[in-house]
Amino acid sequence: MKYRFIVDPSLCTGCRTCELACAFSHAKNLKPGRSRIYPLAHAKDKYVPVTCLQCDDAACVKSCIFNALKRNEETGAIELDQGRCVKCMACVAACPFGCALVDEVHQEIVKCDLCKGDPACAHFCPSKALRYTRIAAG
Amino acid sequence: MTTIQINNKTVQAAEGEMLLAVIRRQKIDIPALCDHDAVEPCGSCRLCMVEITKKEWNGWSKFVTSCLYPVEPNLIVNTHTPKLLELRKTILDLYLARSPQSDIIQKMALEYGITETSYQTVPDGDNCIMCYACTRICAELGRHAISAVDRGHDKVISGPLREAPVDCVGCLSCAHICPTNFIEWVDDNSSRTIWGRKFDLISCKSCGKKTITREFADYLIQTRNIPSEYFDVCDDCKRSELSKKMGKIVIQAQEITG
Repeated sequence: MKYRFIVDPSLCTGCRTCELACAFSHAKNLKPGRSRIYPLAHAKDKYVPVTCLQCDDAACVKSCIFNALKRNEETGAIELDQGRCVKCMACVAACPFGCALVDEVHQEIVKCDLCKGDPACAHFCPSKALRYTRIAAG
Repeated sequence: MTTIQINNKTVQAAEGEMLLAVIRRQKIDIPALCDHDAVEPCGSCRLCMVEITKKEWNGWSKFVTSCLYPVEPNLIVNTHTPKLLELRKTILDLYLARSPQSDIIQKMALEYGITETSYQTVPDGDNCIMCYACTRICAELGRHAISAVDRGHDKVISGPLREAPVDCVGCLSCAHICPTNFIEWVDDNSSRTIWGRKFDLISCKSCGKKTITREFADYLIQTRNIPSEYFDVCDDCKRSELSKKMGKIVIQAQEITG
């Protein structure tokens, strides 16, 4: 894992650009998908961008009986293989942060996969609250 | 890795990999109903049949279900020969006789130019095509709650002895994997009914939203080693909790650093 996805809530303005970027980059058949990230207000005008934390000992991976959730060792993200998913909702119920989501439009379970190592939200975040940066080796 | 030929095109494939996966990777469209990545292939729908031959077979060839046939060196595969098209047409015609109401079978049959079955329609035909996707996924889950009951014309998928399955946990994997959407379930305010069994749904402690069944959560807690408190709250409430906790940390950090 050479890169790390950094979320800095103190810089977040709650503009929801990340949500748009995510929904459009995960569009299928010209329909935007459910955003895997969005700013949630915890106090007035104070936001935290909520997304998958890619836990080390992840409950979603443990709960998935059909091995549809696997960690991509290169990006460090836990990726969902849609071909293996049978929508049993185990990961949605088991995630302690509620970050496995149900996409009602495409009728599938979705979670942040860091866009296979090039997160669209980090590209578009105007206040640089979301960053994807190289971390020091070793 | 080895090389095989699909429709006169040389293709790289891993030895032992099933032919259907290789064909799909080449973006060649062949129909299949019983195939799903989460379960072992069983070749019950017969739609993914392809014609295979080898140079040393002296012009002989055979039809095999590609989902069950592993890649061998120097295999020559054809996916759309006139004989194969005729074979698939016959299979779809038979499916249409059994399940005339099924949308997916109507659509597949139409692609092969069939609008109406040429056979006599099964009088009490339903949308179940006996592909065993549901029983295989249930076995994969480790429950083995449903299976084929009775034989011949009377064969149905059900719990043992046509009764409500005692081992079912109400996860709906079978209903979602079913290619013809035959398996029905009902979710009302507090319970879920499937296979004639009623399950209690867990309601979120803070907002009351219904999540998964109590039985499925217990099964995950026992077998997958997940703390039971993870299932107490719904995903929406967990996210707002995460936002509140993170916000608190940010405010505290700002106070310390000034």
